[in-house]
Amino acid sequence: MRAIAALVALLAPFPALAAGERVSIQGEVIDTWCYYSGVMGGPDAVVGTAHHTCALWCSAGGIPVGILGDDGQVYMVLKIEGDDGSASGDTQLRLASHQVTADGMLYERDGLKYIVVEKVVSDGITNLSHEDYDVIPPFAIPKPKN
Amino acid sequence: MIRCRIASSLAAIVLAASALAHGDEKHGPSDGAAATAAPLPQLPAAVSPLPWDVGGAFDLVDHTGAARSEADPQGRMQLLFFGYASCPGICSAALPLMAEMAKDLAEGGVDVVPVMITIDPKLDSVATMGPALAEISPRFVGLTGTPEALDVAYQAFGVEFEHLFDDPEHGPIYAHGSHIYLLDGAGKVLTLLPPVLPPEQAVAIARRYVKES
Repeated sequence: MRAIAALVALLAPFPALAAGERVSIQGEVIDTWCYYSGVMGGPDAVVGTAHHTCALWCSAGGIPVGILGDDGQVYMVLKIEGDDGSASGDTQLRLASHQVTADGMLYERDGLKYIVVEKVVSDGITNLSHEDYDVIPPFAIPKPKN
Repeated sequence: MIRCRIASSLAAIVLAASALAHGDEKHGPSDGAAATAAPLPQLPAAVSPLPWDVGGAFDLVDHTGAARSEADPQGRMQLLFFGYASCPGICSAALPLMAEMAKDLAEGGVDVVPVMITIDPKLDSVATMGPALAEISPRFVGLTGTPEALDVAYQAFGVEFEHLFDDPEHGPIYAHGSHIYLLDGAGKVLTLLPPVLPPEQAVAIARRYVKES
């Protein structure tokens, strides 16, 4: 009963969900704006440490985060652990550019995959892409005024 | 605090991103970016039932002062977003996308109206919403109302937001939800759209629901 109550609490306030498919996804928490639009470069350039600061900015501004799975699929995050939204929460910011293993419920719609992450079971930064790409974009690193 | 600092920078980075993609200054690693953007998934053949219980009735006021519910008076499909007209963050991505979708769909004979429900009725009043949204597209309908009436809509769509800080240039800055909902003419939610999709992909998704609407 306690587990059910906890699940209900986790899923609120996102509207009531039908049964999805329980999944465990391994991949990187990405900035979906830069990943899909290509404005900062190809998919390889906008993942990992090279894009970390930009990913923080986009998430903070409301761009929904996703998980780029090791299977190459993008999972749009509807909720993640203790944060209600798809962007800008402390959890989304903490996990930006991190490689995670996320357990949750998968929903497919219009060819897109959506995930409600119930638990992040592993978390770390392993994709050191700045060694190949430096910082994407370069102006993502704020310059000190003096 | 970290959210406060970095949220205020989003507008700059989005604008800078656009400059990188479309301006005439030196491009960085993003040269030819459009050609290297991540591949988009194929649309399935059939439309499946919406797996989320989202949406519902509300009674608000549009930017002309007319009463408006979740139904479009002319029975048109609707693109619905919760935000605020002066938002420099996600709205600067979502609202232009909605405008472009409405334009593209209209050119194909599908009349869809973009609608924004404000999360700040003090900021977005009947007097101020219209001009601000018209700068994005004359097709936009802005909805505001009393806090109580707006809360009905927020509850129906599970919308949450948080006032982060006041920016000297943009005014109040909020963290808020970021999906676009596609509604039929009666106000029933057909699907949702992440605001990061390329317009052609978003339009292709919306077209799938024309028969259902």
